[in-house]
Amino acid sequence: MTGGATGGPAGGPAGGPAAGPAAGPAVGAAGGWDPAPIGRALYRLSAALAVLGGLVLAALVVMTSLSIAGRALFSAPIPGDFELVEIGCAVAVFAFLPYCQITRGNVLVDFFTARAGPRRRAALDAFGNLLFTVIAGLIAWRAVLGAHDLYRYNETTMVLAVPVWWGFVPAVFCAAVLTLVAAYTVWRSAWEARHGRPLDDGIGPGDGQGSSPS
Amino acid sequence: MSDFAIGLASFPILLLLLAVRVPVGVAMIFVGGCGIVLMNGWTPLISQLKTGPYFQFSSYSLSVIPFFLLMGQFAAKAGMSRALFQAANVWLGHRRGGIAMAAIGGCAGFGAICGSSLATAATMGQVALPEMRRFNYSGALATGALAAGGTLGILIPPSVILVIYAILTEQSIAKMFLAAFVPGFLAALGYILAIAVFVRLNPEAGPAGPKAGWTERWSNVLETWPVAAIFLLVIGGIYVGWFTPTEAAAVGAFATGLLAVLHGGMRLPGLIASLKETARATAMIFLILLGAELFNAFLALTRMPMEAAATIGASGWPPVLILAAILLLYLALGCVMDSLSMILLTVPIFFPIVMGLDFGLTPDETAIWFGILALIVVEVGLITPPVGMNVFIINAMAGEVPMLETFKGVLPFLLSDALRVGLLVTFPGIALWLVRVLS
Repeated sequence: MTGGATGGPAGGPAGGPAAGPAAGPAVGAAGGWDPAPIGRALYRLSAALAVLGGLVLAALVVMTSLSIAGRALFSAPIPGDFELVEIGCAVAVFAFLPYCQITRGNVLVDFFTARAGPRRRAALDAFGNLLFTVIAGLIAWRAVLGAHDLYRYNETTMVLAVPVWWGFVPAVFCAAVLTLVAAYTVWRSAWEARHGRPLDDGIGPGDGQGSSPS
Repeated sequence: MSDFAIGLASFPILLLLLAVRVPVGVAMIFVGGCGIVLMNGWTPLISQLKTGPYFQFSSYSLSVIPFFLLMGQFAAKAGMSRALFQAANVWLGHRRGGIAMAAIGGCAGFGAICGSSLATAATMGQVALPEMRRFNYSGALATGALAAGGTLGILIPPSVILVIYAILTEQSIAKMFLAAFVPGFLAALGYILAIAVFVRLNPEAGPAGPKAGWTERWSNVLETWPVAAIFLLVIGGIYVGWFTPTEAAAVGAFATGLLAVLHGGMRLPGLIASLKETARATAMIFLILLGAELFNAFLALTRMPMEAAATIGASGWPPVLILAAILLLYLALGCVMDSLSMILLTVPIFFPIVMGLDFGLTPDETAIWFGILALIVVEVGLITPPVGMNVFIINAMAGEVPMLETFKGVLPFLLSDALRVGLLVTFPGIALWLVRVLS
């Protein structure tokens, strides 16, 4: 069971198979459906979105560098370069959110529950993930209406006259995926609370501390 | 219930949610959102959420964060960590404890192109740990030096947390970076002195290595030129005004990515791994930023931070005492929380308080000085028990060193940190003179 990790040989820190005692075959355990196959599918989707968003980010890096070179050498920057950065970054950040959640990358305070035992911790995580599901759903729903408003008023960016709602289309899609992923993580945590061990959904147990940049 | 009381009551609720493992960003969004509903009803929140998150994520000033994170990921793959460590090692390795000192030097150099502490500790650890093992360094010294050295990554610009502090408090990123420069240099120096004292007390902990000739010394230094070039381009470029911080971060990511491909041998799998790690770190930060936005909007509605600042400002307590209390609170929080969450959670409260006190500095100088101080004490949390992330990473890399040994090894560096914070509190000029001279 190496899980359905995408992204080639270097699948990130969490891309490897789940280590430890839980790495047995995840047969549909008695008393409840097995969430693992859905987890694998959502993981593939989230990882693909993360890489796509990353490519957008990389493209912005190249575009900005070219624009600066153009400005310095020929006094000819790429027009509206900062608008592209703004749209691209918003889309990329939305695309990153599901991957962070499904790989257990969002920071939480582990201090007070470090001795609580895996079942109780997983039950608490189910609660936290449930809150996130509600919030993600709310954001996705409101963003649809926000995009509709911007479309109706025909709002565009200053320099390039790009309709602002364009960026909302991928953002709403990613927010919807985030809602699904968050709902899945509720299920995963509930499963783990019942079985007292990490679910082998091909993503790994995570570090609970996120990839804190600090 | 007065508005002030509502604002005050939100903190225990938020802390309770954090204690039961609700992710930091989620807890802040939840409490901030509920608070806004309590103050103003549903409609403002619901209509704010239509476009608020999107426009926050598309803010031009925030886009500097994913660019710097990408740059740090590329830096870890650029293969420069060995060159940086070697360049320091040929100068210092023949002293007692010299290889640990070289690890500190390498971390400082790496920090100049990487704004994150974990990445710095982990990248230098791969290079320096085997070398120290080869020369029979004690596990405590080897792991302690690297865990502490990692914090240089965040102190020496570019630094992701400094960027966030600057955006949060509307300070110039260029000035924040300038102000971090001398304290960062002092930190490296202080750590090297800490090692010197440590090996004087425990001579067997860090045996001396071989001595290198002068030509070897200079040729090794020359090999690190790409790091120096990128650092000068990025930081110098912001300062001279060639580009905005966002553009500088983009240029830095481009140059570092090029270096990773040409020198570090990064290919498609490496690129994809870098993108995924950037994705994870960016999403984690932006979720907390979204939470901070809502939570701060709520706090501003209650007017609690302003009133608290006014009360404390009028209390007549000595400003230095209040500052010391804040810094001590950061140290305590650092034992429980990660540094970024701490900054985003506390700055909205502490910043107005500090700005209301008279330290004999201009408002801008106070803001910059407090940012550097907060950054240093918050980073101490990375090397203190029980959740010192740097310590865990390095300890896991070292393998057979017991955790207690590593925490013992960190002690001399904590002393050096305490000394440096004391110096900075007493002489704000340490952080500010470069800003004053260059602007």
